[in-house]
Amino acid sequence: MIRLTLQYVPFSSEVAFLRIKQTEVLMVRWYLPIFYVHVYSSIFVLLAGFTQFSTAILKTYKSLHRNAGKLYAIVVLLFAAPSGIFMGCYANGAWHSKVSFVGLGIIWWLFTGKAMLAIWRRQFIVHEKMMVRSFTLALSAITLRAWKVIIVYSFDTAPMDTYQIIAWLGWVPNLLIAEYYLHRKFK
Amino acid sequence: MKQLTIVALVLVLFGCKSKNNENDIANQIHKEWYGNWVGDFDAEEYKQESDYVSRTKVNIRIISINKNGTVIGQSIVAGNKRALKGSFDEGSDKFILKEPGNNKYDGVFEFVIIGDSLVGSWVANNKNLDVVKRSFRLVQKQFVYNKMLMLPTNLDEGGSYVDYTKGVDTTFTENEDDSTYTYTERMYRVATDAVKTINASTKELKEADLKNLKKLDLEIIRNTIYARHGFTFGKKSVRQFFDFVEWYVPISDNVESQLTPLEVKNIALLKRFEKYAEDNYDTFGR
Repeated sequence: MIRLTLQYVPFSSEVAFLRIKQTEVLMVRWYLPIFYVHVYSSIFVLLAGFTQFSTAILKTYKSLHRNAGKLYAIVVLLFAAPSGIFMGCYANGAWHSKVSFVGLGIIWWLFTGKAMLAIWRRQFIVHEKMMVRSFTLALSAITLRAWKVIIVYSFDTAPMDTYQIIAWLGWVPNLLIAEYYLHRKFK
Repeated sequence: MKQLTIVALVLVLFGCKSKNNENDIANQIHKEWYGNWVGDFDAEEYKQESDYVSRTKVNIRIISINKNGTVIGQSIVAGNKRALKGSFDEGSDKFILKEPGNNKYDGVFEFVIIGDSLVGSWVANNKNLDVVKRSFRLVQKQFVYNKMLMLPTNLDEGGSYVDYTKGVDTTFTENEDDSTYTYTERMYRVATDAVKTINASTKELKEADLKNLKKLDLEIIRNTIYARHGFTFGKKSVRQFFDFVEWYVPISDNVESQLTPLEVKNIALLKRFEKYAEDNYDTFGR
């Protein structure tokens, strides 16, 4: 997981994913800085998020849950989600992927924001539901990449055809599973 | 005085040189045979156990034939450009040309020119090579750089370019009724039709043009630039696409200085995408 971020350390404008993004890097002034905001902030999102669904931590280390949660929310709302929406506008794979990534960014922001509002109002169940959805979408960082390996090995598809598929496969099934889980838990 | 000596020396050297050249030119014969003779280089004697006996393309370039029987030329085969020196016997019409002998793959060419074909054989100096004797029937071809040239679009089988040098054995499992059986098939990389339409010598390529291409496509599009310039490819994986192309005349093992600025630019972009494809296509990541 950390390796996803580490491949972009130290700063370079043409490694890995950026190798095929030079048009944006050179033509869109904010693309590179925002790209780095996204890459470096996401790692905090995933790390902070993993601690939050343990009842043990929640009960015994309340302040850890609160602080990690604040970190998660701040990073998502101010950095990871807005940068994701911006980059989504320039996504590979034309409008199929653009719609997917921009949509993903917007609902990720909304779920996270609603979860924060809910906890300020002491609505614990709403908070939990929204956070499950939010973190499920955060995990698309991992599921999208896992799907890519599966798709490429199974179908040998061209790179951007693969990309258009995983753009959706990366998060929609996650959300469906989350909804099913919530439905079971709170019915 | 010193300067004068140098000037005199230069004059003498220069004089000798031009005189030599004149002599050479005056003594040259059979000029109609000068130039590139190109065709298939077929393996004739080879080790049975070597798994891949390759046919490749050869260019025997005749540079000069002197009245006294000395011949100067070049052989260009599979990424190797070698100087040729030898003799032409006016009586038997036979050429015997030797490669320098300091390369593992050097050997001796023997051939005659009959009508418009150059026919003969090549014998390796090193008898331990996979292929120790090759035969050829070549035709004279002029090399002209033409930026419009493309890989042929009329392929017989399947219609796609396939990399037969890099196969991966893949096991498949299938269920039929209640029995399951597995089988192994060798899978090869298949290029898309982009290799027949994208010309990197005439069009400035954009990232958007290349994003959906596979690594093999990118390689072929880039190597087609080199083929147009008559570059001789060393790798079998590249030769398999170009050796059988009618217009392809290998003439040089280094064409970097011949590339147009547009081609240089496109090559850099293609290489960047090849690198990305290699590192990222089937790995965990974007």
